[in-house]
Amino acid sequence: MDTFVVPGTVESLGPIREFVRSKAAEAGLDKKRAYRLQLAVDEIAANIALHGYEEQGLTGDIEVQAEVEPDRLTITLVDSAIPYDPYSRVMPSDLDAPLQDRAIGGLGVFLAINNVNEFLYRFNDGQNHNIFVVQRESESTAT
Amino acid sequence: MAFSLTSEARGRIAVITLTGELDASVAGQLRDAVEQAAKAEADRLVLDMTTLDYMASAGLRGLVFAKQKMGANVDIFIVGAHDAVFETIEMTGFHHSVFMLDTYDAAQIEAP
Repeated sequence: MDTFVVPGTVESLGPIREFVRSKAAEAGLDKKRAYRLQLAVDEIAANIALHGYEEQGLTGDIEVQAEVEPDRLTITLVDSAIPYDPYSRVMPSDLDAPLQDRAIGGLGVFLAINNVNEFLYRFNDGQNHNIFVVQRESESTAT
Repeated sequence: MAFSLTSEARGRIAVITLTGELDASVAGQLRDAVEQAAKAEADRLVLDMTTLDYMASAGLRGLVFAKQKMGANVDIFIVGAHDAVFETIEMTGFHHSVFMLDTYDAAQIEAP
């Protein structure tokens, strides 16, 4: 398992995406799935930096763990900000509503959950663990 | 790739060109550009995404912000969004509320 530790600020989002990109390449994900994984991780990392740390007046790190297994790539974000379960967030139910009527919260979590095969949340040892799993085998067998 | 943005006013049309990667760290730049367009009383907003490689939900919130600041009647045109960016817009249903164009179509955008 590889780990990459960055300050829990929005300035770290680019470096986190770059780390995820390199792991996606190592796992042989195609361009589309690599992009979607980056997006999912980026959305949760942004929430940790802005809502977990900054809004609470806290500072701390985000640890990015990557594990490439034969069938899957798992990225885990570990932070020591306030406990926050993304699944506690009410999903936007207004995806077809006109923009001016839309709530702007919850979009990031929605994109995180819908852009990986599996998204899990655990709170262990006083830390948030946001876990993203992508299957390495391509869903389509198109040549 | 680093993010950059340029703004241009073509009469009542505000054109904002986005380049690179749009994430939460640079979303303020898009909000500022939208506020400028609102102040200039633009009634159409064109977001040129031809050179935008990546867009997080921060970009989508920029669209909501534009409707709130510039008025619900403002038409928003998204030009040249790459497949992945397009997919995010579609997945969240935002394509129902904006015009998605492959290229800058003057006939449609500048129609009286």
